[in-house]
Amino acid sequence: MSNKYWQGFGELNDSEKFQKRVDDEFRDELPFEDFDSKGLLDAKAPRRDFLKYLGFSTAAATLAASCKTQVREAIPYGNKPDNLVPGEAKYYATTYTQGGDAVPVIAKVRDGRPIKIEGNDYLSASNGGTSARVQASVLDLYDMHRLRFPQRKAGSKFEESMYDILDKAIAAELAGAGSVVLLTSTINSPSTLDIIAKNPKIRLVQYDAVSYNGILLANEASGFGRKVPTYKFDQASVIVSLGADFLGTWLNSEENAAGYARGRKIDEKNPVMSKHYQFESFLSMTGSNADERFTHRPSQTGAVALALLAAVGGGVAAPAITDSKLNAGIIKVANELKTAAGKALVVSGSNDANVQIIVNAINNAIGAYGTTIDWSRADQSRKGTDREFSDLLTQMESGQVDVLLIHEANPVYDHFAGKRFASALAKVRTTVSFGYRMDETTELCKYILPSPHYLESWGDAEPKTGVYSFIQPTIFPLFKTRPFQTSLLKWSGSAEDYDTYVKNYWLQKAGGEAAYHKALENGVIEEAASGSGSYSGAAVAAAATAIAAHPAGGKDELVLYEKVSIGPGYGAVNPWLQELPDAVSKANWGSYALISIPKAKELGIVTDVDYEYYPDKPVIKISDGKTTIEVPILVTPGMNANTIAVAVGYGRGAKLGRTAAGVGVNTFPFASMPGDGSGIRYFVSNVTVSNTGRKDKVAQTQIHNSYEGRVEVVRETTLATYRQKPNEILDFRNKLVETYAKSTGNFRKEATLYGDHEKPGIKWGMNIDMNACTGCSACVVACHAENNVPVVGKSEVLRYHDMHWLRIDRYFVSDEKDPDNLKGVVFQPMLCQHCDNAPCENVCPVAATNHSTEGINQMAYNRCIGTRYCANNCPFKVRRFNWADYTGADSFPNNQDQKLVGVLDPVVHQMNDAVSRMVLNPDVTVRSRGVMEKCSFCIQRLQHAKLDAKKENRPLKDGEAKTACQQACSTNAIVFGDARDEHSAISQVRLNNPQRLFYSLEQLHVLPNVSYFSKIRNTDEIIGGNEHEAAGGHDEEHGAKEPAAEKHEEAAHH
Amino acid sequence: MSLNRYESQVREPLVEGSKDYHQITEDICRPVEATPSKLWWVGFIISVGLLIFGVVSIYMDVTYGIGQWNLNKTVGWGWDITNFVWWVGIGHAGTLISAILLLFRQGWRTGVNRAAEAMTIFAVMCAGQFPIWHMGRVWNAFFVAPYPNTRGPLWVNFNSPLLWDVFAISTYFTVSLLFWYCGLLPDLASLRDRAKLKWRKFFYGVASFGWTGSTKHWQRHEALSLVLAGLATPLVLSVHTIVSFDFATSVIPGWHTTIFPPYFVAGAVFSGFAMVQTLLLITRKVLNLEEYITMEHIDVMNKVIVLTGSIVGIAYLTELFIAWYSHVEYEWFAFRENRVNLNSPYGWAYYLMMGCNVLSPQIFWFRKMRRNLLVTFFMSILVNIGMWFERFVIIVTSIYRDYLPSSWSTYYTPTIWEIGFYMGTFGLFFTCYFLFSKFFPVIAMAEIKHILKRSGDSFKENMEKDENETLESFEHANAHH
Repeated sequence: MSNKYWQGFGELNDSEKFQKRVDDEFRDELPFEDFDSKGLLDAKAPRRDFLKYLGFSTAAATLAASCKTQVREAIPYGNKPDNLVPGEAKYYATTYTQGGDAVPVIAKVRDGRPIKIEGNDYLSASNGGTSARVQASVLDLYDMHRLRFPQRKAGSKFEESMYDILDKAIAAELAGAGSVVLLTSTINSPSTLDIIAKNPKIRLVQYDAVSYNGILLANEASGFGRKVPTYKFDQASVIVSLGADFLGTWLNSEENAAGYARGRKIDEKNPVMSKHYQFESFLSMTGSNADERFTHRPSQTGAVALALLAAVGGGVAAPAITDSKLNAGIIKVANELKTAAGKALVVSGSNDANVQIIVNAINNAIGAYGTTIDWSRADQSRKGTDREFSDLLTQMESGQVDVLLIHEANPVYDHFAGKRFASALAKVRTTVSFGYRMDETTELCKYILPSPHYLESWGDAEPKTGVYSFIQPTIFPLFKTRPFQTSLLKWSGSAEDYDTYVKNYWLQKAGGEAAYHKALENGVIEEAASGSGSYSGAAVAAAATAIAAHPAGGKDELVLYEKVSIGPGYGAVNPWLQELPDAVSKANWGSYALISIPKAKELGIVTDVDYEYYPDKPVIKISDGKTTIEVPILVTPGMNANTIAVAVGYGRGAKLGRTAAGVGVNTFPFASMPGDGSGIRYFVSNVTVSNTGRKDKVAQTQIHNSYEGRVEVVRETTLATYRQKPNEILDFRNKLVETYAKSTGNFRKEATLYGDHEKPGIKWGMNIDMNACTGCSACVVACHAENNVPVVGKSEVLRYHDMHWLRIDRYFVSDEKDPDNLKGVVFQPMLCQHCDNAPCENVCPVAATNHSTEGINQMAYNRCIGTRYCANNCPFKVRRFNWADYTGADSFPNNQDQKLVGVLDPVVHQMNDAVSRMVLNPDVTVRSRGVMEKCSFCIQRLQHAKLDAKKENRPLKDGEAKTACQQACSTNAIVFGDARDEHSAISQVRLNNPQRLFYSLEQLHVLPNVSYFSKIRNTDEIIGGNEHEAAGGHDEEHGAKEPAAEKHEEAAHH
Repeated sequence: MSLNRYESQVREPLVEGSKDYHQITEDICRPVEATPSKLWWVGFIISVGLLIFGVVSIYMDVTYGIGQWNLNKTVGWGWDITNFVWWVGIGHAGTLISAILLLFRQGWRTGVNRAAEAMTIFAVMCAGQFPIWHMGRVWNAFFVAPYPNTRGPLWVNFNSPLLWDVFAISTYFTVSLLFWYCGLLPDLASLRDRAKLKWRKFFYGVASFGWTGSTKHWQRHEALSLVLAGLATPLVLSVHTIVSFDFATSVIPGWHTTIFPPYFVAGAVFSGFAMVQTLLLITRKVLNLEEYITMEHIDVMNKVIVLTGSIVGIAYLTELFIAWYSHVEYEWFAFRENRVNLNSPYGWAYYLMMGCNVLSPQIFWFRKMRRNLLVTFFMSILVNIGMWFERFVIIVTSIYRDYLPSSWSTYYTPTIWEIGFYMGTFGLFFTCYFLFSKFFPVIAMAEIKHILKRSGDSFKENMEKDENETLESFEHANAHH
C-alpha cells in the first residue's frame, strides 16, 4: 500500500483531466483538434491563428519565390588605402605596348580596376590620340583566356608549376647550352635592352609579325643607317602613298593621322589643303581618304615606284606600264611632287628593300629629307629584319640552337613558314615561352612563364629616339605572371627583379627621385631631338635593275593587308576589336576577300538584290599552288581589276579562346620570301581564283554603299567646286528658313507646336569635321569601353543586331555610269544627334526617352518598356535595342541558353564572365534585355565635370568635359562643348565655318545638336548642278546670306 | 391571278422558309442544346493546338527577348504590328454592322450581327496581344496606364500615339463587349428557360442577369442598345484613325501621310467584312442556318466589300500620286523604290497587296459573282491576305530603307516564333469562336423576330388556297351540318 500525495481535490478525484490541464497550462493547442471527428473542412481555426498561419505561409512563399536572383557580394576594403576614395577615378600615365608599338597613355582606374585608356597628350607629337587597338587593350587585361600560372610540358599536356622550380630547371638547361636565342617582337625598352646587353650569352632576334624589313634595309642602303625616320605629314602639301596604310596600320598611325589631319582641315577664308595621292592595288582605309587614287597590280609596286622616280627626274629608265590611266597618274603626280618640292612626301608600304630604295630616291629628288622626313627622331617600333629570322630558322632546323626564349612573337601563326618553324621548334632542346595566351607558338614550347599585361607591369619604352615613355602598373597582377625581364635577371644570377631594376635604371638616368617621379607622373620624357641623315643614291641603280627583273604577275593576284582592328592577329582575341566593323568593308567577325567589280562579273557573281540584302555571299577559292583558302567575297569598287585582297590576322588557334577560335582563315602562308632576300612579300603575283558556287555569311553592319545623292544626309564636294560655289550649303540652309519659317524667320521656333521652353544654362553640342575623320574607328571602341556597350557576336551581327552607339557610316562616291570609278569615300561618324525636336521622344508612350535642359536626349532605362517605336522613328537609326540578354543584367535566370532562334555566340558568354566584367565602367548602367539604348553624350563624364566645377564653386570650363569619342580621336575631328558659351570651342568652330557647316537631315526640322563639316576632296573636278547660280557673284550672295545663317544658331545662343 | 395577289418583289425576304417565332427559337437554339458534332471537335482541337503554339511562342519571346524574332536595328516592327493592325481592322465589321446599321435601321443586319460582333471582340482580343507581347519588358506593361504613382508621380506621355492606342483600343473593346452582351441577354434568358439540365439552367440563369422579359426590361434593353450604338459608332471610326496615327504622326517616309485615317478606316471595314464572310459562310453551312443567313446577306456584304475595296484602291493611288507630286525626295523614294519597283526586295508584297485589295474585289460588280458562295469564300480569304500585306507593306517597306542609306536593312523574314505568335492568335480567335458557337446563339433570336413578317407572310401563303377554293368546297368545309 503506497501513499497518495495530493494538493487539491482536482488532483485527487479527477486525475486524468487534471493532468491534462497541467500539461497544457503554458501551451497553445493547435486549433485542429477536431480533425478526426469532423473532417478537415469543418475544422475551426480561431481568427488569430488563421491570420498567423496565413502570414507565415505568405511570407514563406514570398521568400521562397523571390530570392532567385543571384546575389553577388561586394567586399569592402578592410583597411582603406589612404589615397583611395571609393567612386573617384584615378589616372596613371603608362604606355601601351604591343608588337613594338608603344603609345603613351593614361589609364583610368576605378576602385583598383583600370577601365579605360586615353591618349597621353603630354607627348607633343601624338596629340593624345589613340587607335582602336589601344582603346581595346584594357579588355585584354581581363581576358579570361589568359595564361594564369607558370607551367611545363609533361607528355603532351601542360601541368602547373612554380617559378622557383622552373627557374632552377631552366637555369640548369641554360648553363649547359651553347646557343641561347631570345626571339621577340621589336624591343624598344631601354632597360630591357640593357638587361639583354648584360647577358652576352643571349642572342637577340627581333621579329615583327608584319615585317618592315624593306624600309630598314633601304634606309641603310641610302646612308641613313638601319632606322626608320619620322614622317611629318603636316608639313607636306602633296602626300603620295604607294600602298602605305599610314592612317591605319603603317608605323605610328596615330601620329601620322594627327599630322595628316592638320593639313586636311580647311580654313574657309583661305581654302587650301594638302593633296593626297594613293597608288594601291585594293581599297585600303588610307586610300579611302585619298583625293585621287590609282590602282595597280601588287606585282607592279616596284614598277610604279620606278616610273615615278623616272618622272621626277631620278635618272632611271621608266619601266613599261600599259595601263594608260596609271601612266597618266604617275606623270601628274610627279609634276605635282616637283612643284611642291620641299613640301612633298612619298611613303611606301612595300616590304621590298629595292622598292624602298627607289622611294628614298624620289624623296631625295623632291627634297623631302630634312623637311617632311625627319631623321632627328628615329622611329623604333620596328627593328626586325627578315634575314635575321630566316637565319634563325635554318639554325634551328640544323640543331644549332639549344635554348629558344620566345617573347611576344608567334611565328608559328604569323610567319609564312610557320609550319617549318613549328617543326624546327621540336629540334630545339629547350623552348620557353613568355606568352600571354596559349597562342600557336606557346603551345609548342616546353616551358611557359606567362607575362603580365602592360597595365600590371613596370617598364619603359623608347618609341622614338629620345622620347621615353614609362609603364607603371595600375592593378596588382591578376594572375601568377612574371615579366620576362625578371626571368632573364634571375637566370643570369641577379637577385633583383625587373620592377626594382627598372626603377634603379631610371633613378640613375633621370637624375634622382624627384625627377623620376615627375617623369612617371607625366608618363614621358622628351629629350632634345638630335641626329640627321645624309642621303646616298649609291644603291639606286642596283635596286632599279632588281625591280626591272621582277617577274610580271599572272592573271590574278592576291594581296594581304592588315585591318585596323585585328592587325597581324593581335586584335583577333579581343571581343571589342572583332566586333569593330572595318572602315571600308563595314564587316566584322571573319575573313572575306575584297574583289573588284569586273572580277565579280568574270566569276559569274551577280551583285543583285539578293547579294545586297542577304549576308550570304559567294565563296571563292584562292590558291597559289601550295596554299588554298575558301572565303566569301565582298565586291568593292576602286579595286585593281585583277587583285584580290584578304586580310591577315584571322584563323587563330583553338586554344586562344572563344573570341578568336574559328573566326576566319589564316592568310599569312600566302606570303613569301623572294630569292634575293629583299623582304617578305605580302602578295602573290599569280593565284588561281574560282567560284565555288557555295555561299557563306559575312557579317556587315552596313549593307548599302551609296548615299544615293541624299545631300541632306551627308555633304561632300571637291575643293574646286567648293571654291566655285562656297555657299551651296548656306543657300540650302537659308532656303529652309525661307520655306519653314517665312513669317518669323526663326527656324528653331517653327519646329514644334508645343512651344519652346526656356532652357538656361549649358547646351551641349558636338561638331564633327568630316575632312579630319579618317575612319580609323578609335572612337567606336572608346565608346564601347566607356559606355559598357555589349558585344553581340557574329550570329547577332548577321541579324543586324549590332549595338554600337557610335558607328562610322561609309559611303562610296562613284561615277554615275561606271560604279567602279571610285571618286571618293566618305566617312560620317553617326551617333545620336540629340535632336532638340526629337522624333523619338514624343512617340514613347511612357516618356522613357526625354530631353534634358542641356539639350541631351536622355534614356531612362528603368522606365523603358521596349516598344521600339523610338528606334523606328529615329531618322538617323542610332538607337539600339537589347534583343537578348547580352549583358547578363536580366533578372531572368538561364535566359542566355536559347537553342533554336538567336543562339548567342560564345563571345557573349565570355563578356559575361566575372573576369571580363571587371572592365565595366561603374558609372554607366549595364542595360538589361528589352530596353533601348543609345549615345548619351557620355553624360556620366559631363556630370562628373559639372560636379567638380560645382565643388570648386566656379563655372564649367570649356574642354573640361570630354566625350569618349572626342578624347580618342587623334585628328581632333570631334569638337564638343557648351554651344551657348560664345567663347567655347564648339561655338567658335561653328561660327567660323558657316560654309561647311551642316546638320544631317536638317529639313526634317528635328534640330540636331550634332553638326558636321562637309567633306572636301582636293580635286579639280567641278561637280555639276546649277552653273548659272555659281556664275553669279557669290560675294554679294555671301554677304546677303550670312545673317540668315545666324538664325539657325540664334536659339543656341539666346 | 387576282389583283389583290400582286406584290412587288423589291426585296427578298430577310428570313427564308416562312419561319414562325417558335421555329426560330428551335433552329437557333438547336446547335447550343445539341451535343457538339465531330466537326466541331476537330475544329476546336485544331484551334486549341494553335493557341498552345502561340503560348509557347510568347513564352520564348518573354523569356529570351525580342531577339527571338528577326526584327533588327532598322526594322523595329514587323509581323508583330502588322498582325496587330490587321486584327484591329478585322474587329471593325461587327460593331459597324451592329451599331451603324442599327442606327440606319438596316433590317438585314439582324441575321449576322451577333456573330459579327463576337468576331469583333475576339479579333480585338487577338489584336491586343501584339502590342503587349511585343514589348521588350512586358512585365512593366502597366507603365502605360496613367495612374497616380510613387515615381514622382511620373505620368505617361500623352503625346505618344502608342498611348492613344491604349485608350482607343481598350475603350473600343469595352463598348463592343457591353454592346454584344447587352444584345445577348434576352437570348440567354430563352436558353435558360429551355434548359433541361441543372448546370445549364444555372449558367444561363447567371448569364442572363435575371431577365424576365417584362416590358420594362425590353424598354431598358432597347434604350441601352441605342445608347451603346451611339457610343460605338464614333469608335468604329476613331479606333483605326488612331491606329493610323501610329504611322501618320511619325517622320518616316511612307508613314508620314495625312491620308491614313480615312484610308485605314475603309481598309478596316473592308477586311472586317471579308472576315465576316469567311466565318458566316462556314457557320451557316455547319449549323444549318442558310435560311437566316441568306444569299441576300452575302450579296449585301459583298457590295460593302467592293465599295470599301475601291475606296482603299483610290487611297493607294492617291498616296502614290502625292508621293510623286509632293516632290519630297525621300517619300517618293519609299514609294518608287521600296514598293512600286518590282525588283526591290519587297516589291512583290506591294503587287500582292494591289492585286488582292484593288483588283480582285472588282469581280463583285457582277451580281452572279456576289451570289456565288465559292467565289465569295475565296475572295474573302484573298482580301484578308491582301489586307495583311497592306499593313506589312506600310510598316516594313517604309522602315527597312528610310533616310540614311547606311542603315538600310538586311532582308527581314519572320522566325518560327513570330509565325507561331500569329498562328496563336488564330488559335485564340477560333477557340473563342468555337466556344461561342457552342454556348451562345450565333443569331440574335430576339432581334431577328423583330423583322419577321409572320402574319403577312402566312396570309399570303394561305391566300392561294382560299382563292382557288370553290364556294362549294368552302361551304362544305365550313358549314356546320
